Amino acid sequence: MRKLAVSVYKEAVLLLRDFEGILMLFLMPLILVVVITLLQDKSFQNITEKKVQIIIVDADNDSLGIAFRNGLKQSGMFEVTEIISTDSSAVVAAKKQVAEGKFQIGIFIPQNTTLQVKNRAVALIQRQIPNVVQTAGVNINSSATIDLFFDPVTKDSFKGITKSTFMQFAANTETKIIFESYSRFIDVLTNQSTPIEFPKTPVINFNEDLVSEYTGGILPNSVQHNVPAWTLFGMFLICIPVAGNIIKERYDGCLSRIQTIPVNYLVVMTGKFVVFVSICLVQALLIVLVGMYVMPLLGMPELVVGSNWFALFVISLGSAFAATSFGLLIGNLATTQIQASVFGSISAVLLAAIGGVWIPNMVMPDLMRRISEFSPMNWGIQGYYKVFLRGDGFLQIYPEFIKLTVFAIVCVLLGALFKKHLKEG
Amino acid sequence: MKIDKAKDTVTNTEIVRVENLTKFYKGRVEPAVDNLELIVNEGDFFGLLGPNGAGKTTTISMMCGLIPITKGKIEITGYDVQTNMSMIKWHIGVVAQDIALYDKLSAYENLNYFGTLYSIEKEILKKKITELLFRLGLEKFKDEKIKNFSGGMKRRVNLIAGLLHEPKLLFLDEPTVGVDVHSRSLIREYLTELNQNGTTIIYTSHMMEDAEILCSKVAIIDYGKVKCIDSPSNLMMQYECETLEKVFLKVTGHSPRD
Repeated sequence: MRKLAVSVYKEAVLLLRDFEGILMLFLMPLILVVVITLLQDKSFQNITEKKVQIIIVDADNDSLGIAFRNGLKQSGMFEVTEIISTDSSAVVAAKKQVAEGKFQIGIFIPQNTTLQVKNRAVALIQRQIPNVVQTAGVNINSSATIDLFFDPVTKDSFKGITKSTFMQFAANTETKIIFESYSRFIDVLTNQSTPIEFPKTPVINFNEDLVSEYTGGILPNSVQHNVPAWTLFGMFLICIPVAGNIIKERYDGCLSRIQTIPVNYLVVMTGKFVVFVSICLVQALLIVLVGMYVMPLLGMPELVVGSNWFALFVISLGSAFAATSFGLLIGNLATTQIQASVFGSISAVLLAAIGGVWIPNMVMPDLMRRISEFSPMNWGIQGYYKVFLRGDGFLQIYPEFIKLTVFAIVCVLLGALFKKHLKEG
Repeated sequence: MKIDKAKDTVTNTEIVRVENLTKFYKGRVEPAVDNLELIVNEGDFFGLLGPNGAGKTTTISMMCGLIPITKGKIEITGYDVQTNMSMIKWHIGVVAQDIALYDKLSAYENLNYFGTLYSIEKEILKKKITELLFRLGLEKFKDEKIKNFSGGMKRRVNLIAGLLHEPKLLFLDEPTVGVDVHSRSLIREYLTELNQNGTTIIYTSHMMEDAEILCSKVAIIDYGKVKCIDSPSNLMMQYECETLEKVFLKVTGHSPRD
């Protein structure tokens, strides 16, 4: 026990006396989490909160045109600029502005669009009750076309979303016009003077709910998603100083000295492990605290940790085991500090990409999603999401903890194997 | 782990026996050590001399269990290096050519760390560190970080780190390389005292003058083989040379090896 204590003390003192190293170990992941969360928060807002700039050239200026404009404004998704004009140059100007990126979407509602809809409604009524209604010049096949033009950089998925929103407005307005036409004819037939109003509220409504047994009411946002993801990335960057520590010890000759001492090398390695795992846990704690107290100061949502601090500790511990052991493996694989730095940083980035830190694994292609399931960072992220978003406890996160711990054991064993190989070489 | 003192006493005066020792490194056709035969007796101050690449460090590394043996056998204090290294480690001290110390730790912290790994009791270790630091003129600097030490001071701390557990057999690989005259003199003096008190020393060096003064027996090796082995005075007589350096040049030739 004394040997382990002195090993822990030695590693801790070596780290604490490297002030710049300590600063980088704690500060860099913090900066990374804040910057990435801010960036991701902005892109998140682009889709959900920031309004889409839209320009409407309304040559119709009748029921459909007005309903369309009001509907877009009331949806809250669009910042609407209106041009009410029948002049064709207005459309050309609008298209130009969209092409220049001033607006993301342009809409042209041609003249008489409302009339076309009304004519169709009348034609439908005329077909149904030909003896009563006889209006000249209406055609059941009459149709109108609304032109949509998009900024070329607009993504297909976004086009699809906005198109279906417009189709919904068009269909609602069309239904309303048809209903009103029918209503008017029925009034004529029944000699009633008060037309029936088109119902303002839909029959079918949608109820949206986040499915979770936890009742804390945590809404997923950029902070809830990014803080755990980038905490893990920061943790895995510990592999570089861990590997550096092992390689330095090898080059200084200290490792050779230790190998001539009657002590189990596992004790020495455990000393390193304890210190670096502690560093990872402190890193995680600091990042969580930044999420809770600093993010709101930067105008972002506060990180809601939930009430299960034990589960949070367990998943952080598992992640710290995995990250530190990965560093031990690299330290035994690499022969120089440069190799360790390059391999460590690139492999951390790769594991992050595969694990769903950059792109959530739900939007990955099938093959990548399957690969992602074998990434320790993915296990960590899933564990954190369970704690942060679902309010899960130890019983729900223990599979992730076990996977991370098994990964750690495999790394240590592989490291020992390579160390033996190096010695024999 | 307790040292088997009974076993120590039953061994004869041979403390090191090397038989047909051969080492091939991967990818090399020529052996680094080629059927080497050596016997070192208890109390010897044994010089293992040779030009660069002769196989000195490889031989010592195999004796200390740092690298595996390709062929042959090494026995230290009666234990086979390949099967009983854990027992041998209690009896040997190793002072490598590298300054195997943590430069951000103080001299005391370094020595306390290595001493504790040797399972030396806390109070005894403290006393031993203080005593050795004093003996090698470093007591005033015990709390200074190693990175602030001069080359000679580092060498002295490096030497102490290999002596804390009072080994029966001490391996010294170039202990005076890169040190000033004062440090060199102090180290030489202390090593002589250590040897006179019963510690067997196996010593490699390029300093023929040091070897001539310090060693009771020397083996000059080249291309992994022992070229000659005897006391410095006998070798000088045998090869009709005035100095050990001249014997060395006569045996190994004058061509540089680097």
